[in-house]
Amino acid sequence: MRPEAAARGVAAGDALYSIVHETHYVYESRVAVSQQLLHLTPRVLPWQRRLSHRIAIDPLPGEKTEHLDYFGNAVCNVLLDSPHESLTVRAESEVGVGWRSGGEVPAGSPAWELVRDRVGAAGEPALLEAAEFLFESPHIRFSAGLADYVAASFPAGRPYLEAVLDLNRRIHSDFAFDNSATSVATPISKVLELRRGVCQDFTHLMTACLRMLGLPARYVSGYILTTPPPGQVKLIGADASHAWVSVYCPQAGWVDFDPTNNLVVDDKHIVLAWGRDFGDVAPMRGVILGGGDQKLEVHVTVTHAAAPGLAQTQAMTAP
Amino acid sequence: MPRQLLSAYPPASARYDEMLDRGRAPREHWHSMFEQLAAAPPELMRERLQSVQRQVSENGITYNVYADAQGADRPWDLDVLPLILPHEEWRTIERAVIQRATLLNKILLDVYGSQTLLQQGLLPPALVHGHAGFLRPAHGAPAQGGTMLHMYAADLARSPDGQWWVVADRTQAPSGAGYALENRLIISRVFPDLFRDLKVQHLASFFAALRDSLAHWAPHGDEAPLVVLLTPGPYNETYFEHAYLARYLGFPLVEGHDLTVRNGCVWLKTLSGLQRVHAILRRLDDDFCDPLELPGDSTLGVAGLADAARRGNVLLANALGSNLLESGALLGFLPDLSRKLLGEELQTPSVATWWCGQPDALEEVIERLDKLVIKPAFPQIRMEAVFGDDLNDETRDALTARMRAKPQNFVAQELVQLSLAPVWDRQHPRRLLARAIGMRVFACATPDGYVVMPGGLTRVATGPNERVISMQRGGASKDTWVLAAGPVNTFSLLRRSTSAQDLVRSGANLSSRVVENLYWFGRYSERCDNTARLLRLALERMIDAVPSAEDGGWLSITGLLRRAEILDDEDDLDDVALVRALRAAIVDEDRQGLAGNLRQLFRVASQLRERLSLDNWRTVNKLVQDSAERKNQGLALSDALSQIDRTVVALMTLSGFALDGMTRDQGWRFLSIGRRIERMQFQCAALQQALEMPASGDAGPELDWLLALADSTITYRSRYMARPEWMPVLDLLVRDDSNPRSIAFQLKGLHDYLVRLGSALGPCGAHLLAASLDALAGLDVERDLDPRSARLAALLQGLQSASFQLSEQLGLRFFSHSVLRQTYAA
Repeated sequence: MRPEAAARGVAAGDALYSIVHETHYVYESRVAVSQQLLHLTPRVLPWQRRLSHRIAIDPLPGEKTEHLDYFGNAVCNVLLDSPHESLTVRAESEVGVGWRSGGEVPAGSPAWELVRDRVGAAGEPALLEAAEFLFESPHIRFSAGLADYVAASFPAGRPYLEAVLDLNRRIHSDFAFDNSATSVATPISKVLELRRGVCQDFTHLMTACLRMLGLPARYVSGYILTTPPPGQVKLIGADASHAWVSVYCPQAGWVDFDPTNNLVVDDKHIVLAWGRDFGDVAPMRGVILGGGDQKLEVHVTVTHAAAPGLAQTQAMTAP
Repeated sequence: MPRQLLSAYPPASARYDEMLDRGRAPREHWHSMFEQLAAAPPELMRERLQSVQRQVSENGITYNVYADAQGADRPWDLDVLPLILPHEEWRTIERAVIQRATLLNKILLDVYGSQTLLQQGLLPPALVHGHAGFLRPAHGAPAQGGTMLHMYAADLARSPDGQWWVVADRTQAPSGAGYALENRLIISRVFPDLFRDLKVQHLASFFAALRDSLAHWAPHGDEAPLVVLLTPGPYNETYFEHAYLARYLGFPLVEGHDLTVRNGCVWLKTLSGLQRVHAILRRLDDDFCDPLELPGDSTLGVAGLADAARRGNVLLANALGSNLLESGALLGFLPDLSRKLLGEELQTPSVATWWCGQPDALEEVIERLDKLVIKPAFPQIRMEAVFGDDLNDETRDALTARMRAKPQNFVAQELVQLSLAPVWDRQHPRRLLARAIGMRVFACATPDGYVVMPGGLTRVATGPNERVISMQRGGASKDTWVLAAGPVNTFSLLRRSTSAQDLVRSGANLSSRVVENLYWFGRYSERCDNTARLLRLALERMIDAVPSAEDGGWLSITGLLRRAEILDDEDDLDDVALVRALRAAIVDEDRQGLAGNLRQLFRVASQLRERLSLDNWRTVNKLVQDSAERKNQGLALSDALSQIDRTVVALMTLSGFALDGMTRDQGWRFLSIGRRIERMQFQCAALQQALEMPASGDAGPELDWLLALADSTITYRSRYMARPEWMPVLDLLVRDDSNPRSIAFQLKGLHDYLVRLGSALGPCGAHLLAASLDALAGLDVERDLDPRSARLAALLQGLQSASFQLSEQLGLRFFSHSVLRQTYAA
């Protein structure tokens, strides 16, 4: 399909994306020291290739190091130690994403209780990684309200992934996308009550529902296309970084669900990082000395790249 | 006399008695103590009790109780009688604690490393991944010397059959070792003969082992290792202990904002720049250590600390994430883990504990609920222990429902009938009471394995039948005497030999925060002195005669009281209102005046505890205690006067320490600068007030008050033997640089300190004083030592503004005021 891409290690059929993620802080007073952890580097995965990647920071940081976190995500550790009144972090990546699911859940999954018991028993080393994602975490709190909500999708004996798909669909239809209703600090219980929120809220909600039942679910941070090809609907959550849920199935491995768009994730989602919840993978988490009030603007632009290195020719499709 | 001694002691009970055997006779290791108590005349015991109380109070030993009406600092409650343990019994405890520390350390290493225990199913994932104390950013950090658990404490209780049990493990930042040390210093002085004759084991070598091991393992390369003690600050419940240990171990006491991380290394912010820190003995909880990577949303910690630990550039004691082991749910797994990891049986068992996360255990616990105590399984869960015994049908159902909803969050423990130990009845001349006790035993890691402190912190419940002992709930403590079999190791930290390369000059590790506190210590001690002298002057006047409105001196004094905001501008000089205002200034901390300034002095001094000598601290402590006592007294004017006299003397003592007891390092210079600035501002104000007096009549100016306020009456009289006149008074108070209260003395001294400071640290503001120095030199004796001199007035005005500017500049340059904040962007 795109022979020039194959030459750079991209498999035929991969969807190619060009991503610009720009974060801009303006501070009321000078910041003396700023330390930032950046989860802005797309993961390399069996179905996802990182073709190019750079992070530009203004002002220039005094220190910049990289390491992998506990979950295997690439983290960039930045220290700015000269006084500054604004900070811009621009991450540019080109990524190739291969076919994952075709947008369907794999057929023939076992009853959800069997998965729960198998993962819960913790006897199998292969399931240990999944067992890390069974519990409450800072943004994931269980409640009776959640238990009531999730029950309708998980009658006894229902095939596991079918039940998850149903939950994914219900969240999409029961909750309204509203980026003024909630903030980073809004607890799930409040989201459940409001029946509105953003992708991060829906992802936390669904993750909590699944873990409450003893099913392994993790939080995935990433991107989707900003402007769809002609004739296709624009997906919700495209103008900022996106989030969705990944659930573990002993037969099929990790399968990703996007409750915000009622989708089974295929090649239209680009994975940045995963963890227990937003707190583990916040794109930028920092500590600053000084600064006073601050203004924050985040812009994400994801475009189809015809081929690696040719993203600029597609710029007309960006908003 | 033993019968009287035991008259209030309970008859034989089911509980184990530490002192008496089943036949109600003293156990062998208690014989000498018991005989001495029986034989001691009541006066001697009274003296002993008073001695304990006095030392606790004088040394300012406190334990902060979060919800205490008495405010932050509650005196430490120490019983006069130690708990005595024989040598053989102690050996058993010691071996068990060593084994347990070794085991727990191995578990930590595994969980934060290869995680084979999880893979082999020896630890359920819930105890790691479901534990909020499992810190993922700490995973994979190198453990210097194979040690993550440097300090460990076990809470022990003794059951009726005499067996000791482990009730809880303290693995994060165990507290109490410092209190145990302080208890020892006091109680060993109360029973000096017994202490020697019984061959009680000393504690010092334990602390030396801790200090030397940290220095040994610290990744210090070719540098001399710098170890600091990290505290959350003065509002923490055990801050006294942090300061005490820091001083005892010789580690700088630091708060999070004293440290910074650069290039993956930890640095101490000192006056002379950044100083590399190689090891941190921390009393800050895991979550709060690093606001950048760890979950706590507090900024008490050091941003980047987790990264520095992962890179192996700093040793943390204990390692980040050690809170993981503080889980009742783990107790049931320890016997198997001990067999697996050590190939040994666990020597001292944990109190029988069920983790409700295991389905069988949950049902068993619910069945036997009334015989058990229910506790949170993880330390992050806020919940008081519930005694099944106390539940009624309704509360039992509610609890059972909660346990079924989140079983993994609960553990159930069998109740240990705590053993009893004697405490001395403070309400009675000669009587023992029995109280339930528990014992906290400490271990520290060394390159040769764990060593156990021969002694511990014995904690005493408030009553004989109490089921829990909590310092937060008003428990007391005891010294713990472990008897030696052979000669006592009398090693003392105070007698460590120092080699030539250890010699250190000037406080290289002086943190900016300490410097700031020293500066304000100087200012507040001087401000207290000034306020006390001013109040004394006013009170003396009021007692001598009814002051008249025409009296120039009295007008000046009230003018200064107004400047100090002790009197309101609107107040007319109604005697009753005046007395009320002066009294308020002496006793009311919330108003401008002496009590408020003393409170500020105490606040600053509290943050300098590890740097003040014990004598120095006692003086500050006494000042504040006296001030607090005055509040509760009726305080007649004459009493007030004698009390202020005492305050002034105590403040003189403080300034004596500064003059005669402190090393002339940069910190001392900041303290002295603080004193001089404060004194200069006060003397300028007094002089300005005097210059404003209406022109005097034939009797000459009223200047006695001004001399008294400047403590210069005697000098003046010895020189002039005459009524004060403007020219000689102004000469003495402005120009005479041999008078420690004169303007010239402050100005020249201040300039000198700033120049010296500047030579080490770059310009420090000495130039701000240049104009005033010129103006002072330019004063003409004939013309300017006169109340009408414009040059004199200008000098005083210039000095006032220069000293304000100087203070502000020092603050900006040397003291950091910025606050850390966390930010997120999606």
